Amino acid sequence: MIEVQELTKVFPNPDGSEKTAVDNISFRVLPHEIYGLLGPNGAGKTTTLRMVSGLLRPTSGRVLINGKDVTNHEAAVKRQIGYLTANTGLYQRLTPLEILEYFAVLYDIPRPQAGRRIAELVDWLGMHDFIKLRCGALSTGQKQRTNIARALIADPPVLILDEPTLGLDVLSNRLILHFIQSQADAGKAVLLSTHALDEIEKMCGRIGLIHDGRLIAENDLEGLKRQTGQSRLSDAFLHLVHANEPLLAD
Amino acid sequence: MNRFSRISTIWRKEFADTLRDRRTLVAMVLVPMVLYPALMLGSLQAFELQVSKLKQQEYSIAVASDEVRHWLQTRILDPDLARFAAAAGLPAEELPAAVEAAEKEADAQSGDSGRGRLETEEAAVHRRPPPYRLEVVSDVRLAVATGLTNVGLLVSGDLLPTPDSSGACQITLVMDKAEIRSQFAASALEGVFKRLSERVVARRLQDLHLTRDYIEPYQITQLSVATPEKLGGSIIGQVVALILVVMTITGAIYPAIDLTAGERERGTLETLMAAPVPKVDLIAGKFVVVASIGMLSAVLNLLSIGGTVYLGGLGDVLTKEGGITIPLRTLPLVLVTLIPLAVMFSAVLLAVCSFARSFKEAQNYVMPVMVVALIPAVVGLLPGTELEGPLLIMPVTNIVILTRELFMGEINRAGVLWVTLSTCIYALAAVGVAAKLFGQEAVLFADSASIRTLLKRKFFKPSNWPSAAQALLLMAVVYLLNFFIQQSLFRAGLAPGSPEHLAGFALTLVLLLAALPMGVALYTRVRISTTFSLSPPRWRGLAAGLCIGLSSWVLALVWMSLQERILPLPPDFKEAVAPYEQMLQRLSVPTVLFFFAILPAFCEEMFFRGYALSGLRNVMGKTGAVLLVAFAFGMTHMSIQRLPLTAALGCLLGLLVIRWGSIWPAVLAHVLHNSIILLITREEGLLPLLKRAGFVDPVTEDVFPPLPWLIGAAVLLLIGLALCVKRSRPVGQFADGFGQSGGDLLGVARQQRPAVKD
Repeated sequence: MIEVQELTKVFPNPDGSEKTAVDNISFRVLPHEIYGLLGPNGAGKTTTLRMVSGLLRPTSGRVLINGKDVTNHEAAVKRQIGYLTANTGLYQRLTPLEILEYFAVLYDIPRPQAGRRIAELVDWLGMHDFIKLRCGALSTGQKQRTNIARALIADPPVLILDEPTLGLDVLSNRLILHFIQSQADAGKAVLLSTHALDEIEKMCGRIGLIHDGRLIAENDLEGLKRQTGQSRLSDAFLHLVHANEPLLAD
Repeated sequence: MNRFSRISTIWRKEFADTLRDRRTLVAMVLVPMVLYPALMLGSLQAFELQVSKLKQQEYSIAVASDEVRHWLQTRILDPDLARFAAAAGLPAEELPAAVEAAEKEADAQSGDSGRGRLETEEAAVHRRPPPYRLEVVSDVRLAVATGLTNVGLLVSGDLLPTPDSSGACQITLVMDKAEIRSQFAASALEGVFKRLSERVVARRLQDLHLTRDYIEPYQITQLSVATPEKLGGSIIGQVVALILVVMTITGAIYPAIDLTAGERERGTLETLMAAPVPKVDLIAGKFVVVASIGMLSAVLNLLSIGGTVYLGGLGDVLTKEGGITIPLRTLPLVLVTLIPLAVMFSAVLLAVCSFARSFKEAQNYVMPVMVVALIPAVVGLLPGTELEGPLLIMPVTNIVILTRELFMGEINRAGVLWVTLSTCIYALAAVGVAAKLFGQEAVLFADSASIRTLLKRKFFKPSNWPSAAQALLLMAVVYLLNFFIQQSLFRAGLAPGSPEHLAGFALTLVLLLAALPMGVALYTRVRISTTFSLSPPRWRGLAAGLCIGLSSWVLALVWMSLQERILPLPPDFKEAVAPYEQMLQRLSVPTVLFFFAILPAFCEEMFFRGYALSGLRNVMGKTGAVLLVAFAFGMTHMSIQRLPLTAALGCLLGLLVIRWGSIWPAVLAHVLHNSIILLITREEGLLPLLKRAGFVDPVTEDVFPPLPWLIGAAVLLLIGLALCVKRSRPVGQFADGFGQSGGDLLGVARQQRPAVKD
């Protein structure tokens, strides 16, 4: 379970001034749930996800993963998180197999167990054809499948996915969404950030809308539609964003 | 999984990744294997061509008049050539071949090996009559300056001094030192006149029935006792040291950038940082890769250059036949000296590159840093520098000098120890900095902050203790500053004990050991009272300090006395410290106590048991931190002979601070120790008392504790130690959950303790 409590991140600007990227955000993601984080570019979604996964240290507030504070129990918490972003790179000169073996060691997975887990992931994600090719030679979809396998190597109870389907073709897209759904069904808490509204509509139990660093709405799909009086998520989204931005609303 | 096997996995992965990179292979294998031999042989051939051209050169000589031209041609040059031909028993036209043969023989006999090929050639034209062309010009100097002729000849006095005359002819050879042909021509012409001169002198002596001894009462020759191996070692040691430095850097630069800034650029750094691995483990694995690639690259380069030298004929040019032997037994030494070099440069490179967000940025940082790092290497290559004094711990310089000395067959064990240990400290500091910077928010995400903000005070998180990296870095900085300040104070030639000397000494202590760490602590927002363990002492702690301070000096005396028998201090050292010992006798007791007991004790405790210990104990655990700090404390006293003693004292003082959470018991013990050591040799101090107690040998005046005192001191020390044994309830601010070994060098341990308000 992910609990985000009054999370704030202030970045220093080079000129000495400060910029509040995330402003007092709170939400929680339960097991079996896919929580969609929605918002325009620069709203603070990625910064929030980075704080949740322990890559950035919050200026104030805290994140609990299964009851443990990310800042104070960094290693223990990171072990419980599978983290994946659209622009995650792979080691171009290693093969997917080598990468998975490497991360299995970094996540302290005993060797025999790691072997079984890799075989399982290779089956699920259909990676047999390219498991021994160097990553530099893989297609975008194959790379993203490798990345997903890497994020899931330790079978973490929490998944943090930042635009995992960006730039993928329809087939890869469907495979990956299907996989995310199956992970949630298996009991994982999934925090998903994406611009693809149809994905959110299809998959997310609850949706949090971030704008200008603040969480301006949080509800399930039907609730958001009701709240805004719109019939489509995209209209509801625009409605909420405009309502929070007086200049645009005029 | 244990830490070691994790680091070794990281190492293996990074190594495989790096070796699969074509760019690394090109820099590491292709360049040394192909480029160097090609370059060397190419330049060698070009050089040979040039030399042979120089040999065939017909030299043109400018003279001022027909009279001189005629004289030079018929009376000087032609007879010289004829004599040469006659000596060889050949007609003049067959002379060149004969001259060549004669030269080779002369070369072999003179044995002037090790000289440059050009020098040898110049010597050769000096010995033979080359072809000349004479030109009569109005201005001889101008003719040479404009390059019309190679050389000019100006004459004053008798044109041809005869054996019977006692006259002399003053000849000036006008030449252009910037032109090699002009040099050769002048040398050749000088040779002609020298030969003539010799003949004239010989005939004059003969006429007077005298021998050569008459004009040369002292005939001087040089006889070098250097074995060919030693000579080879000294030459090759310099060359190899330079090659190793340059090649280790060249080999290590690319992987250092690739494994740090490269990760950021490829987008793999974020994934790596999301994994539950301490940053210090990641950096340790990467460090081993960079160091091994640096070493590998240097070895390949060396093999390639060695092969070119031996097999490609360059060796003959450099050393001539048989003059120098490069002993094979030095080969393992290359590997030995490579280790500290690779460790040092890899650590520095990693630290620099961890700061960069892209390949390009890293390259921009690396070049100036490496140029700066090469300066001490050049200092080490200067002739006459020896591995002694402060140079023992001068980074890079010490390695370069050690390399040279090892190749000359001089194994200086203490030197090896100093170089290795000080290099390890610097490398550790650099690796600590690398671990601190690697994966920092500002480096990881371009949008999160400017890199400049890393050093801005407001972005340091308030904390109770400095990080280990900060402590290590400051230790390294204090070492270097101490070295430079001591050197400049020594060079300033201040009389020991003069007010200027005392002020300089005190200022160095206060600024370097107290003010600097205090300033750094304030700037980085660590709490002063906890960092320097300034909490008020407990009575038991003071009692422990008192017992240790009152007893340690006796044990120190025992050690010094034993050492004097087993491993005496070198006479040079005694000579160097003699003025200071006299100064300590001359100054008043309060002055001595203030400047040499109280002030050093306080300042050294502030830095070593204060800042350094509180920073290091987070990561190394209590024992490791106390030992490392004690060793560093011993090292600043700049005497390898005294190192066991000072380091042991450092351990006792560290124990006091760790146990009592306060610096004051250690300050007390340190002041007492220093004071008693200073006072036992003074008549107005403790000497009369010790004499009465049978402490001082009446014959040798040696101060040595009698057995009862020795036992008494040992008991007192044990009481002091017993007072430090923990009772059931922990005492002091550090007592809880502190000092477990392991953990993230910089992050985890610090986070687990609550931050304080600044």
